[in-house]
Amino acid sequence: MNTNLFNGIGLTGMGLALALSACVSTPQPNAALENARIAVQTAEADPNVAKYAALDLETAKNDLAAAEDAQMHHHDAAVDQPAYLAAQNARLAQARASAKADDARVAAGQTERDQIMLAARTREVQNAKMAANAAKMETNAAMAATTEALGQRDQAAEEAARLQAEVDALKAKPTPRGLVMTLGDVLFDTGKAMLNPGAARKLDQLAQFLNEHPDRRVQIDGFTDSVGTDSYNEDLSRRRADAVKAALTMRGIDASRIGTQGYGKAYPVADNNDSGGRQLNRRVEVVIGEDNGSAISPRSGS
Amino acid sequence: MLRDSSRLTKGMAVIAAIFAGLAACASTPIPNDKIAVAKVAVQRAEQAGAPELAPVELATARDKLARAEKAAVDRQAEPANMFAEQANVDAELAEATAREQRSHKAAMEFDASMQALRSESLRATQPTQ
Repeated sequence: MNTNLFNGIGLTGMGLALALSACVSTPQPNAALENARIAVQTAEADPNVAKYAALDLETAKNDLAAAEDAQMHHHDAAVDQPAYLAAQNARLAQARASAKADDARVAAGQTERDQIMLAARTREVQNAKMAANAAKMETNAAMAATTEALGQRDQAAEEAARLQAEVDALKAKPTPRGLVMTLGDVLFDTGKAMLNPGAARKLDQLAQFLNEHPDRRVQIDGFTDSVGTDSYNEDLSRRRADAVKAALTMRGIDASRIGTQGYGKAYPVADNNDSGGRQLNRRVEVVIGEDNGSAISPRSGS
Repeated sequence: MLRDSSRLTKGMAVIAAIFAGLAACASTPIPNDKIAVAKVAVQRAEQAGAPELAPVELATARDKLARAEKAAVDRQAEPANMFAEQANVDAELAEATAREQRSHKAAMEFDASMQALRSESLRATQPTQ
């Protein structure tokens, strides 16, 4: 009886204790709930979610709270559904946030891209302009050069023609030393170094030529026939050359451009045995130098 | 008498049917609206490229939708509701995943093009001669 009563109490107590322990003990682990907690935590840790998908995260948190609540109240059948929704909503939040973050990055970069492309286009246009200008300048330069070349050719041709005309007027002959104009004996009185008035026209022409060609030097060489002593002839030939120089100087030609030399009976141009030949040998040769102002070499050889 | 009893039985059956109907209505209604919403969500995911970009998520959503529809046909409101809710969130996740993939791909391509543009621009600004 006593034992029976005791047993009864014991059994009842154990039953009560079990029931109490079930109430107090932590709820049974639930895989879906655990999954949901992890998913929500992961989404919370994602900075993009807070920025771009806060509402989705809020939904996930509410679902998770509902699942936790059901778990607390041992309403096991009501845990899985909100837990599942919480996990999926958390993933949804992350996916949407990630997409928005990428879209935002592209949108922000678009401005920079536009600027770079604009700069590139501006540069292209500038380069094209510069190239066009350079080409234009080149064309102009080429045209100018052509014109100048044509002008120079014309000028050179004119110059040559005029010189030829002048040389023709002076009756000068081209030689290796330069153009040589011979002033004959008839321009001097016999045995004198004085130029007679008949020489004036020829000297005027020569002076005019030298004035028009200030770069050309002139060499005046005097010659005689073989009659008389060498010293007399050399002296006479030099004095005749000097007389021509003086005449040119009087006509405005700078003395520094004029060289003189007396060669006496040397370098005859004709036979001294007859009077006609001797007359040709009595002469003054005026050598006109090149237009570069170079000196005229002295007479040498025969 | 026989006729009377037959009428009585018929009347009881009608009453019982009404009660049964009321009982069903009272517990949980068939969630036709939720199923419709889930269906639209699945269609949106399909249009967003989920078949290629989020096939697993989309398959899950379609499966849940099919279960919800079957449960609705079977007049089982609770499972119909549950599957419809899951199908909806699964479809949304499928759509979002597809969009995420697309945006990511676009961003990568944009980065690459920007890098090319920057280096090209850098070369162009330096004198070539």
